[in-house]
Amino acid sequence: MTDASFLIGLADATVSASTVLILAGLGELISERAGILNLGVEGMILVGALSGVVATVMTGSYWIGFAVGSICGLLTATIHAFLCISLKADQAISGIMLTLLGTGVTTYFGQQWASAQFTGFPDRTLPVIGGLLVEIPLLGPTVFEGPATDFIALGLVVAVWWLLTRTNLGLEMISVGEDPETADTMGIDVFRMRYLAVLIGGLLAGAAGAHLSLAFNGIWTNNIAAGQGWIAVALVIFARWRPGRLLVGAYLFALFNSLRLRSQSLDLALGPESPLAGLLNPVIEFLLNPAIMSMYPYIVTLVVLVATIVLRRDDDSAQPAALVQAYSREAD
Amino acid sequence: MWMSYIQPSVTVMTDDLLRMESIVKTFPGVIANDHVDLTVRRGEIHGLLGENGAGKSTLMKVLYGLYAPDEGTIRFDGEPLRLDRPQDAIDAGIGMVHQHFKLIPRLSVTENIVLGSREPAAPFRQENLGDGPLATLRSSGPVQAVASRFSLGLDRPKRRISDLADQYGFDIDVSAPVRELDVGQRQRVEILKALYRDVDLLILDEPTAVLTPVEAERLFETLERLVDDGLSVILITHKLKEVKSVTDRVTVLREGEDIGTVETATVDRSELARMMVGRDVLFEIDKPDTTVGEPVLEATGVSAIDDRGVDKLSSVDVRVDAGEIVGIAGVSGNGQKQLAETVAGVRDPTAGTIEISGQELADAPPEEFVAQGVSFVPEDRHEHGCAGDLSVMHNAVMKDFRDEQFGDSVLFDYGSVGDFASELVDDFDVRGVSDVTANCAKDLSGGNLQKLILARELARDPELLVANQPTRGIDVGAIEFVRERLLEQRNRGTGVLLFSEDLDELFDLSDRLLVIYEGEIVLRTTPEETTREQVSVEMNGGGDAQVAVADADPADAATRRAADGGRSEQ
Repeated sequence: MTDASFLIGLADATVSASTVLILAGLGELISERAGILNLGVEGMILVGALSGVVATVMTGSYWIGFAVGSICGLLTATIHAFLCISLKADQAISGIMLTLLGTGVTTYFGQQWASAQFTGFPDRTLPVIGGLLVEIPLLGPTVFEGPATDFIALGLVVAVWWLLTRTNLGLEMISVGEDPETADTMGIDVFRMRYLAVLIGGLLAGAAGAHLSLAFNGIWTNNIAAGQGWIAVALVIFARWRPGRLLVGAYLFALFNSLRLRSQSLDLALGPESPLAGLLNPVIEFLLNPAIMSMYPYIVTLVVLVATIVLRRDDDSAQPAALVQAYSREAD
Repeated sequence: MWMSYIQPSVTVMTDDLLRMESIVKTFPGVIANDHVDLTVRRGEIHGLLGENGAGKSTLMKVLYGLYAPDEGTIRFDGEPLRLDRPQDAIDAGIGMVHQHFKLIPRLSVTENIVLGSREPAAPFRQENLGDGPLATLRSSGPVQAVASRFSLGLDRPKRRISDLADQYGFDIDVSAPVRELDVGQRQRVEILKALYRDVDLLILDEPTAVLTPVEAERLFETLERLVDDGLSVILITHKLKEVKSVTDRVTVLREGEDIGTVETATVDRSELARMMVGRDVLFEIDKPDTTVGEPVLEATGVSAIDDRGVDKLSSVDVRVDAGEIVGIAGVSGNGQKQLAETVAGVRDPTAGTIEISGQELADAPPEEFVAQGVSFVPEDRHEHGCAGDLSVMHNAVMKDFRDEQFGDSVLFDYGSVGDFASELVDDFDVRGVSDVTANCAKDLSGGNLQKLILARELARDPELLVANQPTRGIDVGAIEFVRERLLEQRNRGTGVLLFSEDLDELFDLSDRLLVIYEGEIVLRTTPEETTREQVSVEMNGGGDAQVAVADADPADAATRRAADGGRSEQ
């Protein structure tokens, strides 16, 4: 029932589950702000997760595994960048292909690694101040104790926000996502900037995958991403392309996921003495069905999309004006 | 740095800043520039004149490094210039204000201007370094490289841009996002963008196309001040009046060929028009008397809102009879767009009735308006007048594709559709079409696209033609053509409702004239009964107060000057 230990467990699970969404979502956000939609997040996560496990088993170092996983995510994204930026292929098609490719390749090569034993990221606290922070009741052990990748993800939220709003590089990335032709006339190398953004996106998706296998699950299983790549894509839309809101959204979506996993113990049905029990209990049962709950992130994203359109709050959104538009100089 | 070019005028005038020689640029099937020469002297305003599609923009895109020329050389400031990308042009000191502004609405004025110049944050700038080991570290190559990418200093650019804006009297908040600025202000931001980069040569591509007459006057004053400060300016235009009033010399292009360069003072308008079009252009229009017939449009008490839900039209009555042209004069944004759209059937009125040839259609779908013989030439020809990605052929039959001559109810007869389209293209002299099935509508130049749209709308021999700004932004030859066709259609018994901001056009073509102001018809008259001055005053909400009349005077003069679209002075 809904006692304190249930809440603490739920909060702990939410914070842990949010990291993969934060990492993959930030990567997708950077890529999209530069005008390139990458629907291959799921595939890049899988590639990052498997290659991270392989490298960790071979070297014995989960840090090397994390680095290798990230880089393999980046290499996977290179395919998307080449197809969409250099060859101006359709971004949606290329991205979906990337997801199918990642799923297929990791399922085939992953079989022999499914039972592999390795030491993953241990839970730890932040250096120096960590010991104090953990003492905070309830919140302390939930937020300030976890694998190192949790802290990396939180740091990256700030870093990406800084990059996009406080640096020349970010300004140039946003400009190629808003209006590549204008960026070109201002002397910005549109191709290079878009490649950079897509590759960073791949790096972070790979990191999300490596975190998933090395820190969150501690083991490789087939299709370990289980749709989280798609949730990351929805998360970017939910966040209206802003890093701060992406963090909020990641916690919200992770909460949905944690609730779903705990839906067995979540008994909210009204007692038989309640007059509305007969009417509401089937509804509550429906809403708490794990299959229905797994749709919540997408439903919330749809609601946000509809709300921004109905309320005409478009100024509020940072949706790139040239998203999915390929650029070539002499084509106009 | 261009300030240093202030020199005695004699030296200035004999000194060539730019020499483009024998430039050739071809696109598949088209020679856009055929051995074109262009020489610009220091401190002059040089006009580049030509019809739409004559190759002006192509030549300037070559000069700005956006297109690579097939042949030809460019010398700038005496040195050969090789341009592979816009950055090379920027580095050489060439700035360009594009016809469609190159601004990012989401970013602020300052961000738009510094974009690409990699201004590092204050602690890493040379003058802030000071001495000591920390300074040595901060000025080292790698640190500077990182700082220029991973920091952003807007404080100093902001000050400099404000100073430049003050210097030229631009009222612009440098921190405001560009989306909050109006068109005139955006153009000033474009000019600031060039000035910020210390350009020696400023190219303006049809800068007045989007400006109101008053704003156009202001722009020309700014240009005069810029050349006084030693800048050279290339002004691309197809408006003869602008060439005559502000340029020192002018180079004329026609169908990609270089017709020649002349001192502006030595030629008059009709000579320029002849160079540009290749034949004499008629500035007078012959309007025979006709007898008007039954009303084809009777709109009563029509009110309408715009896309954002703001009331734009309040209880307007308009009647158009067969065989007459009713002109609607007004300053842009006073409800013309909504009136045109409601009577053409593409916008539902919030109140009132619309009768087309006696049939009440106010809430009917556009299809029924079309069936009743209503033709519509919308204001935005790219957005609403055509389907840009479809072929010329598809666009030519867009309203009549259900007609029996184009096939049965299931299948198209593409043979007859193609023949019909080719016929329209020939009849209306639509240029730039080699194959009606292969060329897309969006690839036509403005004037030619307008001819195609007009061809489609007139081929149906409509009862009512609603034409909103049919000659805006197109060249003299095409303007003349469009006006002739409108008159011809009127003589054949079509009722025409003509919206225009060009008073000369309205006075020459209209049988009756209405003035619209803030969504109401404020004056009903005929060209014979009124004067341009009176119409201009009414357009600006005149009758209300003495002050408004006084204010309207300069605006009126400017209206006639800049809105004449290249016509000769009366």
